Amino acid sequence: MRSYYLLTLAQLRIFLRNRQVLFWTLAFPIVLMVMLGSFLGNGNGVSITAAVVDQDKSEQSKNLVKEMEKNEAVSLEKSSNEKDVLSQLKQGDLTLVVTIPKGYGENLAAGNKADPFKLPVYYNETNMAMSQVGLQLVDNAVDAISKKSVSYEPVVVTESKGVEALNLRYIDFLVPGIVAMMIMSNNMNGVAGQISSWRERGILRRMQGTTLKASTFIAAQITARFMLNGLQAMIVLAVAWAAFGIEVRGSWLTVIAFVTLGTLAFMAIGFIIAGIAKTPESAGPIAGFLSFPMLFLGGVFFPIRDMPEFLQPFVQILPIAHLSHALRETMNVGASFLNLGMEAMILGGWLIGAFIVASFTFKWE
Amino acid sequence: METQQEIIKVQKLVKRYGDFTAVDGSEFSVHNGEVFGLLGPNGAGKTTTLEMLVGLRKPDEGTAIVGGFDITKELDKVKEVIGVQLQSTTLFELLTVDEILHLYGSFYREHISIPELIDDMLLTEKKNSRIKGLSGGQKQRLAIALALVHDPQIIFLDEPTTGLDPQARRTLWDIILRLKERGKTVVLTTHYMDEAHVLCDRIAIMDQGKLIALDTPSELVRNLQSDSAVEFKFNDEVDIVLSEIDGVKQVGSQKDVHVLYTDDLQKTLTSLIAIASERELKLVDLQTRTATLEDVFIHMTGRRLREG
Repeated sequence: MRSYYLLTLAQLRIFLRNRQVLFWTLAFPIVLMVMLGSFLGNGNGVSITAAVVDQDKSEQSKNLVKEMEKNEAVSLEKSSNEKDVLSQLKQGDLTLVVTIPKGYGENLAAGNKADPFKLPVYYNETNMAMSQVGLQLVDNAVDAISKKSVSYEPVVVTESKGVEALNLRYIDFLVPGIVAMMIMSNNMNGVAGQISSWRERGILRRMQGTTLKASTFIAAQITARFMLNGLQAMIVLAVAWAAFGIEVRGSWLTVIAFVTLGTLAFMAIGFIIAGIAKTPESAGPIAGFLSFPMLFLGGVFFPIRDMPEFLQPFVQILPIAHLSHALRETMNVGASFLNLGMEAMILGGWLIGAFIVASFTFKWE
Repeated sequence: METQQEIIKVQKLVKRYGDFTAVDGSEFSVHNGEVFGLLGPNGAGKTTTLEMLVGLRKPDEGTAIVGGFDITKELDKVKEVIGVQLQSTTLFELLTVDEILHLYGSFYREHISIPELIDDMLLTEKKNSRIKGLSGGQKQRLAIALALVHDPQIIFLDEPTTGLDPQARRTLWDIILRLKERGKTVVLTTHYMDEAHVLCDRIAIMDQGKLIALDTPSELVRNLQSDSAVEFKFNDEVDIVLSEIDGVKQVGSQKDVHVLYTDDLQKTLTSLIAIASERELKLVDLQTRTATLEDVFIHMTGRRLREG
């Protein structure tokens, strides 16, 4: 127990005394956030002009339009001519066009769960930031409808009320992504680099010569990194709050729970890399090979739904996708931990799977 | 006062790396309370032997009993009774001397008083300095302090003085001799002959994975059966049977350097010079000295301890 405490303390001291690492691991996410936030953050909220083309004209389609109208951030325009509105969209007069094709009502009434009805949403790709927010809002409305149609638990209804008051900006989208990115790079790249360099320098070997257990060592690593991560996440959130007025709408406990899950999952992956990498020099590129695609495909900067279709199955299994999504839902929408069970389970799966692999690949020397 | 109780018993240890056999069936015993030296050139298998004894490498064959425990079966118990200083270990460079000693102390069930240990290892002034800023000698003393932190019976030191300046080496020798006075058993590897001579009660000479001799330093030198060595080079290639020079008991030649071992230095020297003059050969770098462990090694293996 004492060795666990002292090892944790030692690791924290090493972090704190390594000022340069400490500074740059914090500076990078903050600078990135401030830069992207100022360029793309779009000031104080957005007004989204969307058009809806109701070709179905059924009870259900009217319900959907009503649901979309509920949202104050969207000014909804009804139209019957799809061509017209699409050309307006191209010119930038509209942010989004939603078409409700014929058969929507019937399909909904039939309650076909195996093959959910596809609702085409057109947006202008040149205006990414706005489109994303709009897409999210439409999504929320559609979500609410489909949840209603399968008579969801009342808890979910409360969630959709939260959505009503949403005034989402790109920065709202960005901050949780940045936190997820920080968790990924600090843990995966950090653990891989540090452990492989400790191994190369014989630090681990020397400890192996004592009665210290590997589990104690790893537990202390996890604890110390978790503490540092928590602190860094708080600093980033504080800067986001001070600079952009971002706040956490959901429960802090949920945020902490996902920061914990993410930290553990990415640390486990870091341990695998440290096990595979023969030298500290090769640990960097291996970690980069994994973290780089995750940064761009995992929903850190752009929503996952913007990814090409063929990439979707791949993107959907990335741990960062679920971490950033869960953080986003909690911070932006105020989703509770129970609503995010899927994300928690996938991250948990990564965590357990990676730890099992890591325990096989881990070497003291 | 030497008790002949065996504290380490090595039984046919074998370690292979692919086709290369690093340690080839070593067998020896270390007595309680002695300083035991493993001597040999680089690549002789000293470090591999030591690392198997402390549990850092698994032997392919054979085993050893260390402090009453089998290294292949009861490694955890072995680790409690041994202290280890490894070759070229680095430590957490950003921690201080005091912090790392407390840290390593916590890895064991019990540890001795850290301030006393720091005083003993002459690190009092550096107590609160970061490891990064220590000199080579100080780092090495810290490494030994870490090996002693849980008051082990047996201490393994792998080339403790390699790379240190003469002053720092002597300080370390004093520390090792003090450990012996306290009744500790010390097993060390070295390729310095003088060091082995000063420190070790008994020496095992290793070469190419095999144990080739095991005795006290003076007995090893005595077995050479000669007191003095004459070392020289000829300017040109010559064809002389050196063993026919008066008084020469043994000849150790390698490359162009010749060493003659003799009990009668004067006779051998006179004879050598006479022969050289007779054949008009020029002697270069002629020197005489007392036979040392180095000569024992050259004699046994035909090679020097520290060559290339």
